[in-house]
Amino acid sequence: MGHQDALDREEMIGFVMSCWDDEAGGFGAHPDHDAHILATLSAIQVLVTQDALDMLDVDRVVKFILSLQQPSGVFAGDSFGEVDTRFLYIAVNALSLLGRLSELDVEKAVAYIRQCQNFDGGYGATAGAESHAAQVFVCVAALAILDRLDVVDQETLCWWLSERQLPSGGLNGRPEKLEDVCYSFWVLSSLSILNKITWIDSEKLTAFILSAQDLETGGIADRPGDMVDVFHTHFGVAGLSLLGYPGLVDLDPVYCMPASIIEAKGLKRKWKALPRRSE
Amino acid sequence: MHNVKRVHQSQAATQAKKERERSKITEYLALTNDVISRKKTNDWSKDAFDQTQRLLQLNPEFYTIWNYRRNIMLNGIFSQSTSEEINNLLSDELSMTMAALKAHPKVYWVWNHRRWCLENVPDGPVVNGQPSLQWRKTNWDRELAVVEKMLNADARNFLAWNYRRYVMASMPVQKPGIVELAYTTRKISASFSNFSAWHQRSKVFSSLWNTGQLDPVQSREEEFDLVHNALFTDPDDQSAWIYHRWLIGSGENQEQLRQEIAVIEELLAEQPDSKWCMESLVHYNRLLLKGGCSNSDELEQKCLDFLQKLKKIDSPRKSRYQEISAQIWGQADPQAV
Repeated sequence: MGHQDALDREEMIGFVMSCWDDEAGGFGAHPDHDAHILATLSAIQVLVTQDALDMLDVDRVVKFILSLQQPSGVFAGDSFGEVDTRFLYIAVNALSLLGRLSELDVEKAVAYIRQCQNFDGGYGATAGAESHAAQVFVCVAALAILDRLDVVDQETLCWWLSERQLPSGGLNGRPEKLEDVCYSFWVLSSLSILNKITWIDSEKLTAFILSAQDLETGGIADRPGDMVDVFHTHFGVAGLSLLGYPGLVDLDPVYCMPASIIEAKGLKRKWKALPRRSE
Repeated sequence: MHNVKRVHQSQAATQAKKERERSKITEYLALTNDVISRKKTNDWSKDAFDQTQRLLQLNPEFYTIWNYRRNIMLNGIFSQSTSEEINNLLSDELSMTMAALKAHPKVYWVWNHRRWCLENVPDGPVVNGQPSLQWRKTNWDRELAVVEKMLNADARNFLAWNYRRYVMASMPVQKPGIVELAYTTRKISASFSNFSAWHQRSKVFSSLWNTGQLDPVQSREEEFDLVHNALFTDPDDQSAWIYHRWLIGSGENQEQLRQEIAVIEELLAEQPDSKWCMESLVHYNRLLLKGGCSNSDELEQKCLDFLQKLKKIDSPRKSRYQEISAQIWGQADPQAV
């Protein structure tokens, strides 16, 4: 939204570094919390955005991430071993932001994603799991970073994704479920990576996201009339950016970070958002 | 936050609420400090174990405390316990997290903790001088019943479905696939709209066909009856349509494909504005075209007419229909593109 100075840079970096778990070599969600791959990616993303990667012991973080890959190719979240395609995406994303993707066993990772593909073209959290739009995003974006979109059944998947739009204009995450603002990002990012963002009605979706705002306090909720939160505000704004909403900066749908940062790092993949409107 | 209605309170009301919550927050922070400082000193005592339980009851999202709790068991309690005591402890652990699960059915960490408990149940008790699998069997059987309860409360909870697949695959004594098929039949009969159950069914059938436990041709035939029942009950519900597409697959069984096209045409005659009828007919007729057929001009025209209508009645997806039309034109007359 063009207000990168709204939060104090030093304070932010200080907080991120205070979440470092020196025993494990990764970041926790809060000071004194155990390292987890989820919080580790968040820390890397904040440091990259603030151009402060020099604070990071890159070798140790890379070692932590690589240690979580399982024999099947998927990644665990931490040493207790919960596995999920979310963690696989996080590993691929983080290693690519750190310029260390060459150390990953790519074949194994891609093989696991292929195991998660369902007949509807979508992907689930683990092999055998039902397709879910957020899991579709993590698998498609990981494949985009690895330059392996050739394994996606694009025609079937984009059909399934386009059917996520409901008469309200909002998107759901699975067939016959309610719409929710956060799917504006999961579905749209996947469609934009596969260059099919026009397969849904962008005007109706824009109107839906805007209608979920709280006009008194600011922020965006899961759907109109509900309590706003940071999570839905983030994904609502991300969705609006991909829809070309005026006044927002471009968002990279693969990394869910400002496009200019990803481009400057030479990591931009082929994707297509709607052109930015002037008003 | 999901499904929490927005209420705007006056400043005074917000202030009063904060006052009321203040003592709770103070208590929570004191407990957090106590547990974290015990964790830092590798306190593996029963006292510490009990404190983690109090904290997790207040905040089941606190994953570090679940980790600490497991480490207390691994590094402290287990080494001083017999196998039977370990089994009892883990069974209690599973009962304790049941309450957390009921209140927070979508907290990943709780499911994850149960998984760890089940995987650490020891072999036993000793029967005829040999450790039996009885403890493990009892716990895993109970777990399947727990997942069914969770799916009764929310038949679309994808965490519960994923967990169900995991339990089925891990049980020391496996349930036959045919039993799982019957379970999905029950779920689908309760609601044709339950795509999670249709999805599970596609996985169960694939496995039964691949292992030669079911005849693919005959069971597919029978399956179409169930799907037709769903399609005719609510032609606007996408669940059964998506599943129908899986049953047809790439349409190599042309006779079956033609039969199904005829059934959908019959439904369309009853419901002339049905989007899913038209959308499916376009897809299936294009499969016929790909397979090569004598009346291709006629089928192409049919598809184009449906696509024209779909652009109007299902306008959010008009670009997709437009692109498919262009592909058909491209095939019909390369000059036209």
